[in-house]
Amino acid sequence: MHQFLEAAIIGVGLGAQYALLALGFTLIFGILGVVNFAHGGFYMLGGYVAYTCVAGLGLAYPLAVVVAMLATAALGWLFELLLIEPLIDDHLATLMLSLGLYLIISTVVLAIFGPISMEFAFPVTGSFHAGSVYLPRENLIVLAVCLVAIACLWLVLFRTDLGRALRALADDRAVGMAQGLRPRLLFPLAFALATGLAGLTGALVTPILSLAPGVGEPVLATSFLTVILGGLGSLGGAALAAFIVGLVEAYTSVYFGGSIGALVLFVMVLLLLVFRPTGLLGRDVRGA
Amino acid sequence: MDDKAVGLIRRLGGAEISAVLVFVISFAIPLLTKNVMIYSVLNQIMVGVVATFSVWIMLRMNLLSFATPAFMALGGYTVAIAGQYDISDAVVLTLASFAVPALVAIPLGALVLRLRGTYFVLVTFVLAQIMQLVLFVTPGLTGGSNGISGVPPVNLFGMDMMTNQQVLLFACGLALLATLITAALTRYFRRHFAAIEENDVLAESLGLVVWRYKALGFVISAGVAGLAGFSLVNMLLTAHPSSFDSIISVDFIAYSIIGGRVSILGPIVGTSLMVYATNLFGTHGQYAQGLYGVLILIVVLAARGGIVGSVTALLRRRRAA
Repeated sequence: MHQFLEAAIIGVGLGAQYALLALGFTLIFGILGVVNFAHGGFYMLGGYVAYTCVAGLGLAYPLAVVVAMLATAALGWLFELLLIEPLIDDHLATLMLSLGLYLIISTVVLAIFGPISMEFAFPVTGSFHAGSVYLPRENLIVLAVCLVAIACLWLVLFRTDLGRALRALADDRAVGMAQGLRPRLLFPLAFALATGLAGLTGALVTPILSLAPGVGEPVLATSFLTVILGGLGSLGGAALAAFIVGLVEAYTSVYFGGSIGALVLFVMVLLLLVFRPTGLLGRDVRGA
Repeated sequence: MDDKAVGLIRRLGGAEISAVLVFVISFAIPLLTKNVMIYSVLNQIMVGVVATFSVWIMLRMNLLSFATPAFMALGGYTVAIAGQYDISDAVVLTLASFAVPALVAIPLGALVLRLRGTYFVLVTFVLAQIMQLVLFVTPGLTGGSNGISGVPPVNLFGMDMMTNQQVLLFACGLALLATLITAALTRYFRRHFAAIEENDVLAESLGLVVWRYKALGFVISAGVAGLAGFSLVNMLLTAHPSSFDSIISVDFIAYSIIGGRVSILGPIVGTSLMVYATNLFGTHGQYAQGLYGVLILIVVLAARGGIVGSVTALLRRRRAA
């Protein structure tokens, strides 16, 4: 029984991390119509910025996490403003631009830090136990921070004027602009918000998992599965799907061993596309 | 040139004829030289061009496919597994390496291509990752992390293609076959593909069953990728998961975008130049992807037709002036 409970809590922890990534990805897709291939790159960059702050500059880890989030947000903001914005309505062009950026980020990281993984340990160790259930403290801390970040994102999107404006642009850009919303101001902000979340996740999670060039790719694949499962562009769907993905991964790895989880998820997603192509909470996906 | 010849060239397409000629002429290179460096680069180009064709076919319809390594793996492993049963006939293996990935692509294409293009991109990306897992969790069939080594050389018309020269000639042959298939498909359906590329909602409203053409393209593209996998396994005499790592899909995408997506010459020029440039990096080949990234940004922002498109535009402007 305690194995079942531990897997549940690990699954929720994974789910919270995936939710931060998938929310960012789906935010960019929903509002800008851009498929951000660099999302995994921003995750990786978050990890490396935090590592540099801790190991190179001697900053405290929590401060390093904040710096990583701000740095990735700033890069995302600049990238949207300078490169994506002029081609915002050309889906293939923006996709290719983000792919180009991902290749550049990976190569820069490779050139500076080399191909081997960094020794970047989470500052808190040990485990917390309730009865026969043991839980690593680091996972609990990451889970708490992720949940707080998700709550903050929810507040921003659903309780502030900025959030209302962003959601209005996602719903119908033409009407939103007719109401006086300014995409040139809001799109880079939305992009920065999303890439900042990816950077935050990277800074939090890479010390627990691993930090090496190439860690972004599997993360991107999981984000893709999550957003398809939840319904492209749906924020609620992405959050719900992230926890499902996390739980499926945790339970399959506990009961069937490591890599089968991704396979199970892929089959789940294909079945979903047969029976409910809109995803769990998505909108219309047929047509172009 | 008389009118008949001009008419024939126009019908078959100048670029398509040039592409086929390039690969016919390429047979001469292994016969003229035995330089190891040239052999190595040419082998990489022959495999790369075929794989890039598979990306380019989908790009003709504004779809970006990341699935090439997955279908290459299907084609390559089909050949390697057949080798374990002492099947080495070149014609049989060529047909099998095309057919197996094409068959897998049919249900997948029918499923995903009815949805928005974005789904295609995301699903093909995940497929390439999943194929690696499938290779690792099926050691009985694919050799798992060890792969399958000692693949026997192919037998063409009773002759074992064993020497470096013969292997390269065979790679040239597969590249020529892939060019013929790609050229025939994209030339025959050029109007359909162009309509889908231009505006697929409009094409659909005019009565074109868009997903069927997309699915047809996808199936052929998967088969062509399978040929690339065959060529690669035949060159290495080994089928190993690392040969089909999902990240190589980005290379083929980069080759076709940088070369230019407007003409079949784009993938050929893009692959040749980029493979050559990567070899110039020498032992620092891992940095080549940074170069691809920069070039992709330049092409998208400043030279939409890639190298071939830009050169064509330049020549046209000169002729007009």
